[in-house]
Amino acid sequence: MDGNSEKIQFSWGKCIAKGVKTGSRYYESFTFDNVKYSLYDCVYLFKHGDPEPYIGKIVKTWEQNQSKKIQKYLRGPVMEKEIFLASGDGSGLADINPLEAIAGKCTVICISKDERNRQPSPREQTMADYIFYRCFDVKNCTLSDELPDKITGLEVNVLLNPKDEQVSSASAANVLLNSNVDEVLAATFTAPCSAAKEDDESPATAVPLSQASVKEVDENPPAAIPLSQSVVQKEDKKSIAAIPLSHSAVKDEKPVVSAPRPQLSVKDRSKWFNLPWDDRLQRADKHGTLVYIQNLDIQFGGADLEELVREALQLSCIAKPINHPTCDDPNNGKAYAIFRTKNDADVAISKINSGLVVGGRPLYCSKGLLKVPKSSGTLVGHLTLRNIKIGKRQREGQSKAVLTSHCSQPNTIEYEMALEWMILKETHTKKFRTLHETHSDHRKGFASMGSKSARIEK
Amino acid sequence: METSKEQASKDYADFEEKVKRTIYIDQLSPQVKESAIKAALAQCANVVSVEFIVNYTIPYEIPCAALVELNDDVQAKAAVDLMNDFPFIIGGMPRPVKATHAKPEMFHDRPPCPGLKKDFCWVKQGDKDYEAMQKLKNLAKRQESENMALIKKLLEEEKELANRQQELLDGNCKKYDMLETLMQNGTMKNLAQRYGINLDD
Repeated sequence: MDGNSEKIQFSWGKCIAKGVKTGSRYYESFTFDNVKYSLYDCVYLFKHGDPEPYIGKIVKTWEQNQSKKIQKYLRGPVMEKEIFLASGDGSGLADINPLEAIAGKCTVICISKDERNRQPSPREQTMADYIFYRCFDVKNCTLSDELPDKITGLEVNVLLNPKDEQVSSASAANVLLNSNVDEVLAATFTAPCSAAKEDDESPATAVPLSQASVKEVDENPPAAIPLSQSVVQKEDKKSIAAIPLSHSAVKDEKPVVSAPRPQLSVKDRSKWFNLPWDDRLQRADKHGTLVYIQNLDIQFGGADLEELVREALQLSCIAKPINHPTCDDPNNGKAYAIFRTKNDADVAISKINSGLVVGGRPLYCSKGLLKVPKSSGTLVGHLTLRNIKIGKRQREGQSKAVLTSHCSQPNTIEYEMALEWMILKETHTKKFRTLHETHSDHRKGFASMGSKSARIEK
Repeated sequence: METSKEQASKDYADFEEKVKRTIYIDQLSPQVKESAIKAALAQCANVVSVEFIVNYTIPYEIPCAALVELNDDVQAKAAVDLMNDFPFIIGGMPRPVKATHAKPEMFHDRPPCPGLKKDFCWVKQGDKDYEAMQKLKNLAKRQESENMALIKKLLEEEKELANRQQELLDGNCKKYDMLETLMQNGTMKNLAQRYGINLDD
């Protein structure tokens, strides 16, 4: 998973102030990975270990150790796109994040009827990724409709909608990748970069950092920021579709910010993670957050399972069904679920095993990855001609040969052998079918027995 | 929200369309890559995408499989028929591949099925159904191990067949080799003279 150190493009914009004592300089904007971020832009931030990113507004940017200050918005699942502005005093209000934590831009529109707030146009509202109109006081933990005057010493005006429509602010960031970054781009942060390239389906791509530490860099911009992450496969549809979503049909070719996504729900943010599913499994297994659930209904998709976990356990996870189509018993649906923390995973396991019954099916689960043997490279049944002496040149030619395919013709010995295989396969299929049907009948008989006994007891 | 429900149904309808035009190819060698499959099917169908199935659950070495999306369901039917009527061989010989139409549950990244019942309940120790549920659980576990045992047995049968065929093949090779050497070192000529047979017939 650790790729090469990447030199992600970075440069500071206009310097607006210079701190006297600390010698750090404050900037108005910066360009990170070919995307320009200015003060008061809303961005996604990623915290190590968290599968879902936070949303924050950039309130201060300075260079000391390449950090910047971010005012945090809290998320709320009330309406589909609603989030809350953190206000009051206390922790969780605003915090300092290193530059690398930025995972992309987003649009947040304030729809509060406050007089200081410029009312957004309907177009802005639909195009915005998130809206807010309420404040969450972090000290009292209360919601309020009224916006206070100052938050972290800043006038609240700057936190509301900017004077002019910023709808297509990110279109300026429609920059081409790769002119600066020559090596294979590891964890790309920004939406526009990947969107500009080919037909990448995920609008914003962010990859969990292997470390969130602040990097010591000298004062000279442009600073190269080495990151070590896994390689993003742009064209690999499998990696992009790491999380099954109901909106996978939405093909976003535009950057996140200006892409209209009226049905954006909280879940969609997991689409950013271009980390291939297999890598995620490995990581989760290492961290102890991977749970293997069995005895599901085979019709359950990943999103269905995630919803079920959310309703039954009040935990969020990322889940995917993993049944093998030929061999696995269709009576027993299996899935992997990756939880946020080890604790979540443990809680989930104990709860599910203690007696979660879904549609008459008692689920059971365990932790960790199943051991699957590595492939030996050839298929049983692909025979070799051993007695032929092949010259060296011929052997080289053979190794370079492209795999061919054909329909076997009846006048060859291969044809008879192939037929033998087909017959064998048919008998196997029949055996599987019989077994699975027997299983299914047993289960039905059992269930009816169970309910009968329940009725008798009554 | 109504729109999200409609969107979900629409997504699922699209997905079902996709399922209709996708075929499931099994018994593939791990050496077969996307390009090989595309080339193989080029005679009867245009391949849109290939997704290999990763084995997460079976602890044995099983043949590879892939979901191949074609242009439309007519092509899908044509491909499946072709591969079922004749032994279709991709890559190594002589084991042919097996093709069937795809089913929704084969797709690991499928959209949620609208209308799927997700009712759940908690049956804890002390509840009247607890015993029954425990028994069902154990039944499920037992069935699972039965399935695994069957898979193991079938894989062994496959190995046996392969070994048998390899022996047959080797035997044939030896026979031809022998004939070849005989031809070359003149034994044939001598024998022919002996018996008065004309070799050129």
